Amino acid sequence: MPGDRRPAPASDVECRLEDGLLAVRAAEGDENAFEALVRRHAPALLRLAATMLGNATEAEDAVQDAFVSAWRRLPGFRSHAAFATWMHRIVINRCLNMLRARRLVADLDAVPEPAAPDHVASPARTAESHAAVRELARSLSALSPEQRVCWVLRELEGRSYESIADTVGISPEAARGRVFRARRCLTEAMTAWR
Amino acid sequence: MAMNTGPDRPEPRRGFDGAGATADDARLACGRMLSGVWAAWEDGASDTHMRTCPHCAQAVQQLRALGAAVREAHGEQGQDWDSSPLTERIMDVVRLELRPGRPLPLGEREEDVWIMEAVAAKSLRAAAETLPGVHAGSCRFQPAASDGNGPARGPVQVGLEVVVPLTTSLPHLAEQIRRQVHLAADATLGLPVESIDIRITDLAVPDSTATATAEAESRPDRAQPERDGSMSRPTNREL
Repeated sequence: MPGDRRPAPASDVECRLEDGLLAVRAAEGDENAFEALVRRHAPALLRLAATMLGNATEAEDAVQDAFVSAWRRLPGFRSHAAFATWMHRIVINRCLNMLRARRLVADLDAVPEPAAPDHVASPARTAESHAAVRELARSLSALSPEQRVCWVLRELEGRSYESIADTVGISPEAARGRVFRARRCLTEAMTAWR
Repeated sequence: MAMNTGPDRPEPRRGFDGAGATADDARLACGRMLSGVWAAWEDGASDTHMRTCPHCAQAVQQLRALGAAVREAHGEQGQDWDSSPLTERIMDVVRLELRPGRPLPLGEREEDVWIMEAVAAKSLRAAAETLPGVHAGSCRFQPAASDGNGPARGPVQVGLEVVVPLTTSLPHLAEQIRRQVHLAADATLGLPVESIDIRITDLAVPDSTATATAEAESRPDRAQPERDGSMSRPTNREL
């Protein structure tokens, strides 16, 4: 709309504030504080979601949904200093749900999903390395959503099995088992294409 | 875990989460279970056997190659990925769902001008932050009691939480903050204020990102600081 007032973006002051203060402000309706939180945390959450989902568009959807959901839930959120952990968890759960929905569709249609990630594009990479990354993405799609999420958290973030279990909502033994089976499946696939 | 050096571990790891799990495990040619070898490597608990056994070494190598591949793929995702458009999309949705809070009265009692809580809070936080090293968090308002006909027109009580530098005299700084906030409310906004309650929720160590965990209260006469984020009002000082 022509007369629409575009609010000022997050200022330098806000960019220097800790998560806890920004989250308190955002909970009280300060959208500039929330924007500073989005700018700070979106890049890492995007990369995490992309690795879990193997797809840039879906990763952006997951992260957008997660932040919008966080904005709505912030007034009831009390552990402001743990905003990053909370956000992380919302994104992971969103990815889990998307993977589960995807599998449901795949089961119904019995059509193999296209697995190559559409965002991996850097000319400097050798064709061989491209193939490895593509192959990894394809192998990942053979994992169950829980195996995939547990494994990414373990492999990329070095999270403890207890912490993974807590995030995904399963027992630490189950998390250990999921990670093991994911590794088993992926190393076998890798051995096959080397 | 104690590691044995024989071909078989006394209690090979198995059955992580119930039936079926062992079906995925494999026994290496040296007799070790794959799950045990990987777990030992991950925990940094390799024993003499593992350090010399070619089968264990190969199993570990596969795991390392897998880790390297996923980190490489993950690293590539960071390149050239501008998250600004996503931030804009998120904020477009957020701005359709703003939470401005309650209307607070501006000006004299007989007037009919109001300011929304969230807007007033932004202004008062900014006023406190004109003092060096001061960062404001929660800013809440307690409107005057309503007479039943819509929001009350009386002066409001303000509760502001701040993080301040460790090296200052806290009562003096709290007084300065109160003055700044009062100035902004009174002169800039025209918001009648009954009291301004400053609460120091954290002390920031200068020249460091670390913050003190100790909490200090700006007024020594306050008995127990509330930690639920609500405004404390028993000893509000008139300005």
